[in-house]
Amino acid sequence: MKPATFSYAAPRTVEEAIELLEAYGDDAKVLAGGQSLVPLLNMRLAQPKVLVDINAVEGFDEIVEEEGFVYVPMRVRHVQGERSPLLREKLPVVSEAVHQIGHPQIRNRGTMCGSVAHADPASELPAVLMALDGRIVVKSGDGEEQITPEDFFLTYLTTSLQPGQLVTALRFPLLPPNSSAAFVEFAQRPGDFALCGVAAYLHLDEGGTIAEARLALMGVGGTPFCAEQAEAVLQGERPSAALFAEAAETVSQEVDPDSDIHASAEYRRHLAKVLIPQALEMAAARLGEER
Amino acid sequence: MSAPIATRPQFAGQRIKRLEDPRFLTGHGQYVADIQLSGTVHVAFVRSNYAHAHIKGINAEEARKDPRCFAVLTGAELAQAKVFLPGAQNAPLPALAIDEVCYVGQPICAVVATDRYAAEDLAETIEVNYDPLPAVVDTLAATQPNAPKANLAFPTPGNVFFHMEHATDGIDDLFADPQVVVVRQTFRTQRQTGMPMETRGIVASWEPGTASLTVYAATQMPHGLRDTLAAALHLSQSKVRVISPDVGGGFGMKAPVYPEDVVVSFLAQQLGRPVKWISDRREGILADTHARDGLHIAEAAFSKDGLFLGLRDHMISPAGAYPLGLSGAVAETVLATLVLPGPYKVQQYAWQIDGVLTNTTPTGTYRGVWGPAATWVQEGMIERAARQLGIDRVEIRLKNMVRKEEFPYHSVAGVVYDPGSYQESLQLAMEKIGYAGFEEERRQAAAQGRTLGLGIACFIEPTAMGVMGDEPLTVPNDVASIRIEPSGQVIAQVGISSHGQGHETTVAQLIADQLGVDVQNVTVLHGDTAAVPYGGGTGGSRSITIGGGAAILAAQELRQKVLQIAGHLLEAAPEDLEIADSTIQVKGVPGRTVTLAQVAQTAYMLPQKLPQGVEPGLEATKRYTPPPITFSNGCHAAVVEIDRATGAVKVLRYVVVEDCGKMVNPMIVEGQITGGVAQGVGSAFLEQLVYDENGQLMTTTWMDYLMPESTDAPKVDFGHIETPSQNPGGMKGMGESSLIASPTALVSAVEDALGVWVGALPLTPQRVLALAEGRQEDAGA
Amino acid sequence: MVIPVETATITVTVDGRPYTATVEARKTLADFLREECGLTGTHLGCEHGVCGACTVLLNDSAVRSCLTFAIQADGQEVMTVEGLAAPDGTLHPIQQAFWENHALQCAFCTSGFLMTTYAFLKENPNPSEEEIRETLTGNICRCTGYQNIVAAVADAAARLRGEKHTQPVGGV
Repeated sequence: MKPATFSYAAPRTVEEAIELLEAYGDDAKVLAGGQSLVPLLNMRLAQPKVLVDINAVEGFDEIVEEEGFVYVPMRVRHVQGERSPLLREKLPVVSEAVHQIGHPQIRNRGTMCGSVAHADPASELPAVLMALDGRIVVKSGDGEEQITPEDFFLTYLTTSLQPGQLVTALRFPLLPPNSSAAFVEFAQRPGDFALCGVAAYLHLDEGGTIAEARLALMGVGGTPFCAEQAEAVLQGERPSAALFAEAAETVSQEVDPDSDIHASAEYRRHLAKVLIPQALEMAAARLGEER
Repeated sequence: MSAPIATRPQFAGQRIKRLEDPRFLTGHGQYVADIQLSGTVHVAFVRSNYAHAHIKGINAEEARKDPRCFAVLTGAELAQAKVFLPGAQNAPLPALAIDEVCYVGQPICAVVATDRYAAEDLAETIEVNYDPLPAVVDTLAATQPNAPKANLAFPTPGNVFFHMEHATDGIDDLFADPQVVVVRQTFRTQRQTGMPMETRGIVASWEPGTASLTVYAATQMPHGLRDTLAAALHLSQSKVRVISPDVGGGFGMKAPVYPEDVVVSFLAQQLGRPVKWISDRREGILADTHARDGLHIAEAAFSKDGLFLGLRDHMISPAGAYPLGLSGAVAETVLATLVLPGPYKVQQYAWQIDGVLTNTTPTGTYRGVWGPAATWVQEGMIERAARQLGIDRVEIRLKNMVRKEEFPYHSVAGVVYDPGSYQESLQLAMEKIGYAGFEEERRQAAAQGRTLGLGIACFIEPTAMGVMGDEPLTVPNDVASIRIEPSGQVIAQVGISSHGQGHETTVAQLIADQLGVDVQNVTVLHGDTAAVPYGGGTGGSRSITIGGGAAILAAQELRQKVLQIAGHLLEAAPEDLEIADSTIQVKGVPGRTVTLAQVAQTAYMLPQKLPQGVEPGLEATKRYTPPPITFSNGCHAAVVEIDRATGAVKVLRYVVVEDCGKMVNPMIVEGQITGGVAQGVGSAFLEQLVYDENGQLMTTTWMDYLMPESTDAPKVDFGHIETPSQNPGGMKGMGESSLIASPTALVSAVEDALGVWVGALPLTPQRVLALAEGRQEDAGA
Repeated sequence: MVIPVETATITVTVDGRPYTATVEARKTLADFLREECGLTGTHLGCEHGVCGACTVLLNDSAVRSCLTFAIQADGQEVMTVEGLAAPDGTLHPIQQAFWENHALQCAFCTSGFLMTTYAFLKENPNPSEEEIRETLTGNICRCTGYQNIVAAVADAAARLRGEKHTQPVGGV
């Protein structure tokens, strides 16, 4: 289980990295933390001709807050996201989700942007990005774009990234007042890809009814799943166990998961129904704490 | 020698920390992958992508032209050299496929290159032209008359290559008797594999000067590998040396000889330089022997007051595409017939076995072999009877168990149970798990919306096999050759072969006690056919009983000689002497001593000072043959909690009561148990090798084959009972009991929690949920 | 533009000592340690990042050396199991705790557990059993059932906090 031959470059700047990605196009792969890519290389399931290692790029390694957004740049490793005082205070749901990625050694090396760019449908951050209405910041020779998760994730392990494009950051909006978010997942062992996971976002108006709700699921299809019908069920209602159960019921009709060796479609659908109220209740409880 | 001599230390029975550990803790263990011989070239295998196909052609031109290539070897070339792997049922196996491949992962050709990276590059360039054949994957489907033949070259007409049956007189009458209560269940174990952390691997080196082969291999049985390689390569046994260096676990998977062993050894001979192959994990999961995957269609007859009157079991078990070595299809079933009645006094007994060829990886032995399914059947039957008859689960067991005064007990299966503690183990386990108060605990938990269950698994473990038949299939004895060096240091060469069991410590403990030396002065050598006498290696929970028994006998003989010489030197009768701290002293006379070193120097260098008729030297070799089977016994008990929303199971408490006779090192005994219990968690809840209908293995990574992690394994609470065996030292084997009993204990706890019966493993959350919701069809039961 | 290379001469400081070698870009850090540095205490159990047997410290952080390329460690610091004991051979308290608690059997996974524990206890000197078990999920052991490993990590933590004295090496 040894990788096929490749050439390797470790640019010092984003411009150099993009230059390499443009020059080598489909033959090039970005190497960030490598925790998803290198197993594929070792098994020769991926055989890029060129690896562009962004670990030597200067900067891009600190989580920052700017004008109502938290930015997680491309060299930030999971462990930083897990422990970041900024995230833990302002967006604890992100830290909680990152904590459930892999194992400590994986989190020490893997990057948050890399996990998103890899686009495994059973990974945590894509769903969290979707529930929080985050953006994927992508740079290329043509400049910078901020892409919605809906546009970014196309199917299993496939994104809208074009040759020459590089994910340079994740952008999360800060939570407005009277809003909160939560993330829950179910896996057979800690660190396994979850069989199903739910990221929930709730925003209440002053009267205590739900002004906006977002629910994103993982593990139930080729991309993170935005449960729009369930969101509509929640909108304009007051949070309650019955409401959350109704939303869960709606989602379980809405999703169309695949069966695989780890779980049947039916079981994943069931898990969605179980986890949605848990995530919504956790989010609602957090709102209660704030008041 | 003025210091008072301490009373003789008793090393056996003590929690002595392992003598072998410092090298491992500092990263200086020497596993086969660590062996670096100068000039070594590296092998990668091209393996079948098809479950069943004709090979129409192999194109290796590009690889052969590459300057990094040393050789490409195909099955045709091996056949030309008449090199085969001796197989079971007198059907030699091609070490590399010739015309037909019969499972995904079967080796087709070997490519040798400068390093492993290059070998994999070259392997990728080799084109195999396949003509697919119909494949049969499911075991039951393979038994059907119209099923495709899994292996066209195999000399049986259909896929059922092995059949045996037996019934006691009167069993049909018993099951027809309207007075008896019959319970039935089909028990289906899933396909698993031993999955040691170290993969298989081999480094073979040909020495042209002596025309001999030296092989370093991760094997449990160095002499077995030596014999097979010599036969396969048409070499004399004296020209093949097998060294099993530090071995990173085996669990039965490293017992057989594999095609790759023959190929790599042949290549070393052909190329005249060291050849190395270290399996990677993916090819290991494809090509290491698989195990379990059996079907037991069982029924049991009970009297209305709960007597276990009769048992019938039809076992159907897959061999994979070839019966390799001791095929799992045969080992797991034939051996199970000996122990299916378990600790219970069953009166009537019948069984049938069908061994079946399918287009899957060959099956072999995995820790517990005959035990896990047999225990599940026997305990499953008694649980069903208890619930159906309304008898307490513990009561019905106690009522049917062999009692202390009934040993030795001749079981209906034709084996003799030596003394054990069947009832006592169950009672102690129930005390420790809190059986008496459990219904109250369950009720209180239920009031909080929690679902608890308590599981019980009583077991017998057949260990340390002695003479079982007239075929020379196994080594029913083992050997220790011990010498005391002139310095007084002790060196023991043993035929057992440690791959994690700690023999360098436990055997030293036994010898140190006999010779009155510190355990640190005993060096135990194993795993080298040029250094140790002929032995059976390690497997079947044989080592401490048979190998340790031989060590005790050899050390006793040596002790007599030491005392004889010392008596002569001290002018005292040998029976008036004692040994401690490497010093021999006249009992009660502190000044009259001689050191072991002085005795040894006399024995080797001053023969004129030896007593009349005593041969020079201080060495002894003894072989010990145990009774046919030495039975350990015990009981596992578990309390689990089930999340009814997801089907997840959490083990809250776990108790093991083990009676393995006299324990040499309780710390090592407990370590074996906690390890086996964790593997039982894997068997019960997590692990499964899954094929699709075309015979593609879907679980070829550790992201798909889920083994227990630190958060999955329960904390085990121990109870020990010691019923000594008749073997030297009173020991019984115990390496497998923990995996024999733990899956059943855990399954039983889930059944108890949900009030259901389980017929298929593993109990994934999905399956538990189906059971909890009464969807038996979705639970595979 | 930076020109991608297939091979490079790199220098990696391992256990305080610099090692220079010309390697293919595809060579993993694990293979570099084992083959170029002769440090075979780092073991390969799965080569796809699940088992943790190959865990080493890269710039003080526990990582899987099968998922890192040697070329990425050029100019950086690596610590392996061979660097744990003192130069005079005295075992590190973590090694001693593993020994005394019988936390190893076949020992193939042991190096990885030791290195994970080393990094973990630096960050969390007084962990709960739950925290220990959670941290160790990144390392698979097939022999011990983890019970003694968990005990050894707790024991090592107590030793490193100075709450328990380490016995001299070599005693039984």
